[in-house]
Amino acid sequence: MKALTGVMILCIALAGKAMAEPTYRIFVTNEKDNTVSVIDSRTNKVEATIKVGHRPRGIGLSPDHASVYIALGEDNAIGVIDTKTLKVVKSIPSGSDPEAFAVHPNGHIYLSNEDANLASVLDPVSGELLAEIPVGIEPEGVGITPDGKRVMVTSESTNMVHVISVPDHKSIANILVGARPREVTFSDDSKWGYVTSEIGGQVTKFDVAASKIVKTVKLTSIKKVKPKGALLSRDQKTLYVSTGRADSIAVLDADNLELQTTIPVGKRVWGLALSRDSSRLYTCNGIDNTVSVVDTAAQKEIAKIAVGDMPWGVVIDD
Amino acid sequence: MRLTIRWLMIGCMGIALAFVCWANPSVAQDVPLIYTGVPEGSVWLGVKLGEHESNILGRFTGQTYAIKTMDPEALLNANLEPLPTAIIAATDVEHLRKLSAKFAPLGVAVFNVASDDEALRQACLPGLLHTPPSARMKADAVAQWQKKHPEAKVEAWAWHPDFEKFAGRDLNNRFRKAHQVPMDSEAWSGWAALKMVSESVARTQSINPQQILTYLREEMEFDGHKGMPQTFRDTGQLRQPLLMVMAGKLVGEAPVLGVVDTSNLDSLGLPSCKAITKQ
Repeated sequence: MKALTGVMILCIALAGKAMAEPTYRIFVTNEKDNTVSVIDSRTNKVEATIKVGHRPRGIGLSPDHASVYIALGEDNAIGVIDTKTLKVVKSIPSGSDPEAFAVHPNGHIYLSNEDANLASVLDPVSGELLAEIPVGIEPEGVGITPDGKRVMVTSESTNMVHVISVPDHKSIANILVGARPREVTFSDDSKWGYVTSEIGGQVTKFDVAASKIVKTVKLTSIKKVKPKGALLSRDQKTLYVSTGRADSIAVLDADNLELQTTIPVGKRVWGLALSRDSSRLYTCNGIDNTVSVVDTAAQKEIAKIAVGDMPWGVVIDD
Repeated sequence: MRLTIRWLMIGCMGIALAFVCWANPSVAQDVPLIYTGVPEGSVWLGVKLGEHESNILGRFTGQTYAIKTMDPEALLNANLEPLPTAIIAATDVEHLRKLSAKFAPLGVAVFNVASDDEALRQACLPGLLHTPPSARMKADAVAQWQKKHPEAKVEAWAWHPDFEKFAGRDLNNRFRKAHQVPMDSEAWSGWAALKMVSESVARTQSINPQQILTYLREEMEFDGHKGMPQTFRDTGQLRQPLLMVMAGKLVGEAPVLGVVDTSNLDSLGLPSCKAITKQ
């Protein structure tokens, strides 16, 4: 056991070493024009637009930030962009219609195959499909607890969060939540999970270890609300929720889910990313074709950056 | 190399375990449902897709669905034991009225999945739920559209095979994959009934008809892939956005933006039983 702990510490140390100087780049998938926009977060200027495969939606970074992964729904593949050179280095077959995914601390990609009612586990290095896990209809959001022990997949048309153990991929629980659950995120200590329900207009907080819902709040006081993206502030005290057609970010107390305020951004806001220091929130505005930059302390949008056609998801390497 | 093999083994074990889990579901409860009407055509295909999707949900929540078909006359004369959890009816208006009269006192929901008859909504029959839009809902949608486009010869449909928004594309793809034909309004109405029943059963963990009827009427917020939560009016009518169609082509949605408040579905059709006396 001690030896194993030693190896793990060594691995973490090595991984830390391997983590290169950040590029401070923001990567945005543009669903309709098959591109990824690259923004310099220090200037808020688009520095490159990369042609990728078809219908890019989900986006994520490898644990060492060397690669940006893109779910290419109509290519049935995960595209890989080199974070530094901005070259598309490969495209890995992923099973049918990948929409969203999460990257495990061990580097494996857990993705939802939207039209196949499956979650797949992909090793991006070997290109091997390691497992396929049956889930509900229209699987979408994938979240992995920071401790790497649980994967959760939302199924939009069966209104569930499927709780799966890692590495044995056993079904632990299936939690019914509000209609059309879209995204799931976790606290850094892996204790709490949060899931957005788009048609239900609600956010649900659950106890990860018990797989039990502890609180659900309706955000329907916000007109036209359609909760989609969710992220916790670095201090874990605030939950940011993108509201879709309500064109704003809902700011919630992460403890009791009380709505504190809303921050107007662009139209049909979905994907979210937060800077490492928590000071800037980036939002994908699908109808505006822009990314908003929000000053989280001032709770105000401070810039709008034109990107490609129908921005969907965003990550930052900082 | 050794590490690769180890990961491979872990991966294989994962696949094996996942397989074992799914091959041995815990004992599932059969949900008794009856379909009455002709078991063919669009409505029936919609019901069948709904049944299939209900079984996927049931895999996780412990139910199975195998819908039984019955002739309406036979159903009216039958002494059913146990009672069905719900009845899906694609029959004429006369049979719908009789079915409601027989099954409402027993607490069994009867879904009208085929008739747009306005008088049937105005009758506010207990236990009768309508998934297709009523004639007046469609007329109201057309009137809203014509306020913006006065000369337009437009129709209002419950569904359209080219509808893409709100995961409409996914539903259309699923239907086409299952039946090799496009999904139309009739199919949507049949599909919706099954989806609502199975969701009510999963959430209440009950197959008791009265409990399901109460859940449907009071708590159900249905995602019919039309972008808004759909609930039942006290008339039994399912609230829903409609799709505007010109010469077979999808041109928009109702409630119509710029004419009415698009977040209020009650601008389409008779909003409540109380509103009848006011007219």
